[in-house]
Amino acid sequence: MGFEIPKISYNGAIKEIPLGKESNRITVGGETCYPFHLFEGNMPLPPKIAMEVYDATPEEWPQAALAPFADVVHDPAAWAQKCVASYGAEMIALQLASTDPNAQNTTAEQAVEATKKVAAAIEVPLIVWGCGNVEKDTEVLKRIAEECAGENLILGPVEEDTHKALGAAAIAYQHTIAASTPIDINLAKQLNILLGNLGVPDERIIVDPTVGGLGYGLEYCYSVMERDRMAALTQEDERLQFPILCNLAKEVWKVKEAKLSDEEAPLLGDSTKRGVLLEAMTALLFLLAGGDILIMRHPDAIQLVKGFINDLMGS
Amino acid sequence: MSKIICSAAIRGAHKIMERAEAKYEEAMGKWGPDQEIGFPNTAYYLPVIYGMLGVPVKKLGDVKDVLDRCRSLLPDMVDEHVWLPYLAPALEAGMATFFAEEIIEAIRYLESPDFYTKTEDPSNGNLWLGAADDVILRKRGVEFVDGTAPGFAAVLGAPPTEEIAVQLAQELQEKNLYVFMSADHEGRSMSEMLVKAGVQVGWGTRLVSFGPEYTATVFAAGFATRAAMSFGGVKPGDFKSILFYNKDRIFAFAMPLGTVTDEWYANAAGAINWGFPTISDTPIPEVLPTGICTYEHVVSNVPHDQLVARAIEVRGLKVTVAKVPIPVSYGPAFEGERVRKDDLFLECGGGKTRAVEWATTKDMDEVEDGKIELFGPDVDDVGEGARLPLAIVAEFAGRKMQDDFEPILERQIHHFVNYAQGLMHIGQRDIAWIRMAKAGASKGLKLKHIGDILHAKFHQDFGAIFDKVQVKLYTEEDKVKEILEKATEVYHQRDARIEGLTDETIDTYYSCTLCQSFAPNHVCIISPERTGLCGAYNWMDCKASYEINPTGPNQPVEKGETIDAKLGQWKGCNEFLYKASRQALDHYNFYSIVHDPMTTCGCCECIAAILPLCNGVMTVDRDYTGMTPCGMKFTTLAGTIGGGMSVPGFVGHGKYNLTQRKWIVGDGGIKRLVWMPKRFKEEAAERLKKMAEEVGIPDLPDMIADETVGTTEEEILAFLEEKGHPALTMDPLLE
Repeated sequence: MGFEIPKISYNGAIKEIPLGKESNRITVGGETCYPFHLFEGNMPLPPKIAMEVYDATPEEWPQAALAPFADVVHDPAAWAQKCVASYGAEMIALQLASTDPNAQNTTAEQAVEATKKVAAAIEVPLIVWGCGNVEKDTEVLKRIAEECAGENLILGPVEEDTHKALGAAAIAYQHTIAASTPIDINLAKQLNILLGNLGVPDERIIVDPTVGGLGYGLEYCYSVMERDRMAALTQEDERLQFPILCNLAKEVWKVKEAKLSDEEAPLLGDSTKRGVLLEAMTALLFLLAGGDILIMRHPDAIQLVKGFINDLMGS
Repeated sequence: MSKIICSAAIRGAHKIMERAEAKYEEAMGKWGPDQEIGFPNTAYYLPVIYGMLGVPVKKLGDVKDVLDRCRSLLPDMVDEHVWLPYLAPALEAGMATFFAEEIIEAIRYLESPDFYTKTEDPSNGNLWLGAADDVILRKRGVEFVDGTAPGFAAVLGAPPTEEIAVQLAQELQEKNLYVFMSADHEGRSMSEMLVKAGVQVGWGTRLVSFGPEYTATVFAAGFATRAAMSFGGVKPGDFKSILFYNKDRIFAFAMPLGTVTDEWYANAAGAINWGFPTISDTPIPEVLPTGICTYEHVVSNVPHDQLVARAIEVRGLKVTVAKVPIPVSYGPAFEGERVRKDDLFLECGGGKTRAVEWATTKDMDEVEDGKIELFGPDVDDVGEGARLPLAIVAEFAGRKMQDDFEPILERQIHHFVNYAQGLMHIGQRDIAWIRMAKAGASKGLKLKHIGDILHAKFHQDFGAIFDKVQVKLYTEEDKVKEILEKATEVYHQRDARIEGLTDETIDTYYSCTLCQSFAPNHVCIISPERTGLCGAYNWMDCKASYEINPTGPNQPVEKGETIDAKLGQWKGCNEFLYKASRQALDHYNFYSIVHDPMTTCGCCECIAAILPLCNGVMTVDRDYTGMTPCGMKFTTLAGTIGGGMSVPGFVGHGKYNLTQRKWIVGDGGIKRLVWMPKRFKEEAAERLKKMAEEVGIPDLPDMIADETVGTTEEEILAFLEEKGHPALTMDPLLE
């Protein structure tokens, strides 16, 4: 009798969520097994990588991160175009960092304008990410939802405090929501229930479990994502059967280790490669934990991760 | 349903139907069946007809079928000698009314294209806006979904004076409701009266002048119907889902002002289909039993100054208070703030004067929401360093309010008052103690503001369990004394009630999965006699928490069939546990430390452990940092058994639970207790004594060893033998 690999018996599946418009549709989710356990089930839709674009010229970015975009950082639309044309971005994630009341505090009108410009410049689905301030995100993302009706943007972060206002806007103007909770499986589930109660259809929900970068709490996030997938796939937890989005680039690149120059930290290796490897390694681990959409920054890191996805998918 | 109302509604529906048929014939003669027809800029055609029947009326010719459906819906006039129930025919008449009115209004758009402005606000001297287009629907409908506008009042007719019109409009605006206005009473309409009084009318101010005729009422029904299709994802024709969506989510009601004609009755009957009740200022018959609507159907003869409050009550609308209206900063950041002697302006209670806090339940008509009264002197009437007696009485009313919630609400007074900058609060019940700082008083803080704080915060955090709250504050000695006596009696009753709650008499326990964020498989199930191991949640708290947050961490658990009465195991609890622990555990016992004990997250106040040599059990609380006879300190124990594991021989529990009847009763209960820290023993002395008496060993507390006797089993065994501790002669703990 030959050896047989023991297999996990799954009883759930991740929902398939269509992103973007008819013309640029990308669907994520659909897994019937743990990440890349292709010997146990199916992963019909490989994970997707969205490239970051900022609504204002980034400050305090390390040279390594800035270099590929140096010619476009002042113009979000051009930046987005470059990501698609030169680096083959499958999606764009517009980070509305400048709307933060503690930063430039740009207005909702400016954010709408930036979003419209980026949306018009690209032919891939667009993620629009607020600054994380509850009041400001409510105002800004609501306006964007209204002004960009029909674009099927992925709007985030939608938290418990903002879920009513942004959920309602997503229903009315037909966008998708990134339901964001602070690294807690029960809170994630609860927010999904609340969004359902509000009337947000399931095919408009993506889960953002909140992530940290390598060396900065990644393990905790990894465990939560892992449990999220266990609950969804083996424990019939219907309200957790949603694709997972990991907004990881800004977490990776803000840490000290990614920013230190060769002179400042000679022991940490080549600073041009260091951040790239930190980002790629973080992304790779979140793929193994169950990420469906990764928001990433550096083209080289993305190349590495794409290669990894291809290898694991056997394609 | 009242026969008078039903007859009138059916009569009205017939009249409206005839009007619609006449209009249709006339229009057909003029334009023919291929003429396009509909409301402007909408993808929902004639929305009520489209929603209810799934029929898109695109051309005049399509109207014929709808009219036929109306005819078949329309019941015969109510015969004087018919005594059958009337509700169903009246509702059908109401539905037919809305269909007919949509046809009448659609033909009006054809006949006089400029009759309505088709804009958000009145323009070019035309006040009448007509049906909302889809842009308005989306923009405004979002507010209905996210709760910034909970619903609307469909006002028909007009109040007697402009002043009342303005006051009503303002009151409705303050509740964030939209006011949809139609029809006239003796030639005057609410919309026109508001404009005359200088009030701005339009979607922007939420005072929507739909139209001058009663038929424009259908625009309100159309708006509600489209909201369900647009935001509820309901398919056209799925009338049941559309009606339920509105009943459950859109807090709307009809408010006829003036003589209620047959046609108005017909519209009101129509609204009831959507779950929208009628609240009227006119003496018409009332329909009080609940059924289609959440509560009453028709409430009438309400004075104008009570109309809005009554409407909100009947429709079950919740009040929201965005900000605490006081002159000092407010928030949890100030909770820990102390008011020291040197900063002190005014002091109540704390042993210096009498002070008492009391939350109580009253009937709906005895409570006026937001009413704050102070009887006696306030800050302005006394000098610096003054002392006053104080009684705070919060009177609640609500359809979901229960006496059991009173202590939970009362306990919040402590936090809520403390959140105010310049106020310090200590204690509860009749040992309350409030200090106001000079800095607070100089900013204009008054004792009366305590009422404002409580009203706002109770609504913000606990609005789900009551509807109305008013606060009375007393600072006169004799009044305070009177309240104190009443309250003391209630405290005794409450305590007796808690004592009387047993696991046997309750079928529903509550779960708590709050700690799963760090103990993923841990599930607390809390019964009256096994309070939460953290000490923070008892059964009653969980019950209230579930009412407040139905999707939260406290879920009802039907205990179901008893598997083991002695050890405390139930089928329903096991099933819940299996699911909530994500299949990590399929059973545990509530009352045992030896046989599959309940799990702990690690937050337990105490950990009990068996001492085999003594044939008994010890317990240690978190505050005791020394060694214990089981050979482990509290921290080691917590690390060993925490994290959601069932570890035979150890169990986490609350301090209070130790002196509840069910504490490890499956293994012998309190009679097994052979060791506990001295300070904990002193703290629990009174209750421990009571339990000892109850089990027939009054001097049991003296037989329980503590660290002064020893911290090894050998040391305490001698003591137990000397005292003749009952555990030594009980059945072996380990078999």
